[in-house]
Amino acid sequence: MSTHTRQALVMIRTNLSSLPRRSAISASMALSVALVVCVLAGFLSMAKGFETALSGAGSPAVAVVLGGGTNQETGSDIPATVIRTLDAMTGDLGVARDAGGKLVSSREIVAPVDLSQRTMALRGMDAAGPSIRDGITISAGRIFTPGAREIVAGNRLAEEFGLQVGDTVRLGAVDWTVVGHFSAHGSAFESELWADLEAVRAAFDRQGQVQSLKLRLADPASLKRLQGALATITETPLVAVSEADLYAAQSGRTASLIRLFGWPVALLMAVGATAGALNTMTSSVSDRTVEIATVRALGFSRLSAFLGTWVEAVVLAGAGVFLGLLASWLIFNGWQASTIGANNARMAFQLAVTPDVLLTAGLLGLAIGILGGALPALAATRLPLTAALRARG
Amino acid sequence: MTQTPAPYIALSGVRKAYRIGGEMMPIFAGLDLAIPRGDFVAVMGPSGSGKSTLLNMLAGIDRPDAGTLSIGTSRLDQMGEAARSAWRAHNMGIVFQFYNLLPMLTAAENVELPLLLKPLSRKERRMRVEKVLDLVGLSGREKQYPAMMSGGQQQRIGIARAIVSDPGLLLCDEPTGDLDRKSADEVLDMLRFLNRELEKTIVMVTHDPQAALYARRTLHLDKGDFVEEKRAA
Repeated sequence: MSTHTRQALVMIRTNLSSLPRRSAISASMALSVALVVCVLAGFLSMAKGFETALSGAGSPAVAVVLGGGTNQETGSDIPATVIRTLDAMTGDLGVARDAGGKLVSSREIVAPVDLSQRTMALRGMDAAGPSIRDGITISAGRIFTPGAREIVAGNRLAEEFGLQVGDTVRLGAVDWTVVGHFSAHGSAFESELWADLEAVRAAFDRQGQVQSLKLRLADPASLKRLQGALATITETPLVAVSEADLYAAQSGRTASLIRLFGWPVALLMAVGATAGALNTMTSSVSDRTVEIATVRALGFSRLSAFLGTWVEAVVLAGAGVFLGLLASWLIFNGWQASTIGANNARMAFQLAVTPDVLLTAGLLGLAIGILGGALPALAATRLPLTAALRARG
Repeated sequence: MTQTPAPYIALSGVRKAYRIGGEMMPIFAGLDLAIPRGDFVAVMGPSGSGKSTLLNMLAGIDRPDAGTLSIGTSRLDQMGEAARSAWRAHNMGIVFQFYNLLPMLTAAENVELPLLLKPLSRKERRMRVEKVLDLVGLSGREKQYPAMMSGGQQQRIGIARAIVSDPGLLLCDEPTGDLDRKSADEVLDMLRFLNRELEKTIVMVTHDPQAALYARRTLHLDKGDFVEEKRAA
């Protein structure tokens, strides 16, 4: 071990051993770092959870056709003639066909409904709707019967609102029977209620309306062929995107918004915590003036004095990071949250404290220690050695 | 014809001034001093006479504004801060008035500090520490912390730390200023032993005339100049 390493280790050890003399201010630094880490981890886990819920909702093998020049379901309208034209097209549209040669598709509308004073999305769909989507399984009961006022509820929504199979709920002006629950692996679909298209149209006076058309693609790469076919229909502007892209765009916007709000808050708090760290470490240097000057007078290097103080700051910040991450994991991981998603309906999601969230928040916490400790550590190297010769140790 | 050996410590025409409140306050305006190897010099004088400034310059903590300052073959006045620090680590031990032991280190660890600057193995360091602790009469106290010791014992640890790397020169800044008479005499006996038996050159700043009696000679400093010299009988 080199003499420089030995000097540094002694300085680090003496600094850390003397922490109990400054327990209150050292604890306050660690706690302020923990708070910053916790807040940032909270926001990031919210964004991550939102992204996870929406990214799980979309499949690259499902195309969503929207009409009327919009790229969202809200405001989209696809005239019946367009659907008939599409159905009548022969040749390879890039869309899967059933045994009878018909396109595997589902016409859908979304009606915002109030349930326990919260707005939910009631999706009306053709019978093929659930099977077109990837990863959907009926976890309880059965699927709705065409034409009947029956609904199947996403697991997350059913759990939150206590919707049991066999229950009757009033949506709009009519009663509906819950006939099943479905699982979508925690994705945004689980925040929806699904029912037969005609039943929803009739209940909400939206006869003939289609907001979106879901089509099972032959393979993810065949979306371009579908887009080419749609371009030949001039009646209304039509957009075809993959379901994965549609939900990714939605999640990207909202997750960005969460991060856009979370980062400034966390950074502002980090600035405050850095000032706190600066104060703590200045106090540490002041407390150890005689010790630092003594070892410097004995011949210890400036670097060892710097490292002693700097490592102390990083260790305190590290303790704060550990506390903050532990608290955020205990508090936020798996927390059920909700927001207003597409179609102005409530979308539930689960906060996810993932490794990248822990890493990002942890690095910010350590940066507080690294920056907040650097200036006092520099000050420690510039202490007048004459202090050691006359000071009472 | 015999040649007079060059002094171990030599100050020639040393000038030093401090800026206080925008004005330069001269401390030394051409100080000369010669101390042969193996001498034990007590420096006395009233407050403000320049004792501390002299000690700081001898320790390489401060540098003359002008003049020359050499110890052995080294010109401290020409060295930079890092070089003086390294020189100090290898050639000098310092005994502080308030001991300046690190409270969170044991007696042995405190004594070992200067050895960490040398390329010695752990075993070599431990042997040297045991040897000097035995020399200052504190064998068996290796694991005790400074707070568990009396002032006299702490100062003996301070002396052990100063001599553990076997430097030729010991600088003592009021080494008995914080001790009762009995402890002070024990410490001074120790310094005399180090001077006479181990041939350490010692420069001791003190206010205590009794302490000065242990030195071979006493220099009186006043207003930045030596005004009197007394030799021990």
